[in-house]
Amino acid sequence: MLSPDSARRAEAAGYTNVRIFHEGMPAWKKAGNLVVSEPESLKEFIGKDISHVLVDLRPAKQAAAGHIQGAFSVPAESLASAKERFPADKSAPIILYGEGIPAEAFRTVRGWGYKDTTLLNGGIASWQKIGGLLLQGEMPSSIVYVWKPRPGEVLIEDFKNYVEKKDPGVLILDVRDKDEAMNGMLRGAINIPASEIQDRAKELPKDKLIVTHCVTGIRAESAYEDLKELGFKNIKFLNAVIQIDKDGKYEITKK
Amino acid sequence: MRHRKISSLSVSLLVMVMLVASAGQAAAAKPTVGGTCKQCHQPQANVIRGTLVGISNQFKTIQVAVGSLVWVVKFGDGIAVTGAEKLETIPKDKEIGVTFTGDEKNPYAVGVSVKPPAKIAPEKLARVEDVQKLVAAGPEKGDFVIVDSRPRPRYLEGHIPFAVSLPNDKFDQAKDAVLPKDKGRLIIFYCAGVT
Repeated sequence: MLSPDSARRAEAAGYTNVRIFHEGMPAWKKAGNLVVSEPESLKEFIGKDISHVLVDLRPAKQAAAGHIQGAFSVPAESLASAKERFPADKSAPIILYGEGIPAEAFRTVRGWGYKDTTLLNGGIASWQKIGGLLLQGEMPSSIVYVWKPRPGEVLIEDFKNYVEKKDPGVLILDVRDKDEAMNGMLRGAINIPASEIQDRAKELPKDKLIVTHCVTGIRAESAYEDLKELGFKNIKFLNAVIQIDKDGKYEITKK
Repeated sequence: MRHRKISSLSVSLLVMVMLVASAGQAAAAKPTVGGTCKQCHQPQANVIRGTLVGISNQFKTIQVAVGSLVWVVKFGDGIAVTGAEKLETIPKDKEIGVTFTGDEKNPYAVGVSVKPPAKIAPEKLARVEDVQKLVAAGPEKGDFVIVDSRPRPRYLEGHIPFAVSLPNDKFDQAKDAVLPKDKGRLIIFYCAGVT
């Protein structure tokens, strides 16, 4: 648990008015509240070809005069009637940008059930600030979205095969904390908490495929990034919810 | 030769001392506190703290996992249960404390207590509505800082409006640059609940 730990440290550093929003991001999103994303993340989505839907809410002419790569043009005033053009997959990350803070557009799209809708913080201006380029010309108005795994994401079926077949060429790396792992681990897996990966990477073989997992995929991906940075070439991570009992029996659910 | 004799004698003495020491350890080796219980509890000779594996009504035993080891403790009808209505309603894997009499070979449970929920004091908890009100007011008027403790890529992908990024594992290095100078200002930390 990250936030209670940070709160403790803040109090230790002398802060006297510390609170914990313990339900955190999942509860915030579930209640339909405004979520903002940063241009750095959009840049990574575009650079790594991570599936997303980018929507330019400005008037069509203005958008055509300078927009972000891959954006679809859906002017804010016609958004309400554009519902049918949005993808069938409600888990698609939808990033909106327009003039100022288009909170109304956010609520509309979020209201259609797209739980990963965000507003690009600062819009076009913040995009340009991080060196993002603007494109000119006609933009597609029909939205295309095809889900692809994130870079390094292992398919759930493949992960199950790795666990069941006990392939000697594959190492399952459990990056949960020790006390979580004590309550049950996958057979054959080894445990190195995500926070210790950088210090303990030398314990890991370089000649095997390493597949990381945690509980939801968040720490598994961060361990994946750490290992990649440390020069490991053959790594994947499980980007799904996994529960493991004492006997090593497990259940994986897609996020 | 003389030297050798002395040294071999001292070696055998040392081995004897080690044997005695390890025998002494073995007698007290069965741990009474395991897993997350260790964070708050010191070992006690007559209380086993671990997670519930199961209860056998047929054999009248409670099985408690302490680390990788499982205690099997007999119990009778007079067992005192606190924190749960009765033994049967304690869920598996729940953290429990079992107070016993007798020795560790034949422990007899006299009481079971169930770990109470919520580690965070209620006055320290912020609810969705609290955060909504602050965000609606804005950081200037609301006089607050919302801190996202998740890894930075998660923050960049989507965060609460006005939140700043201070990943928990970078807390010590980055706190001075991110947290306010005024130590009395309201700071709200959030993450992804369970990761």
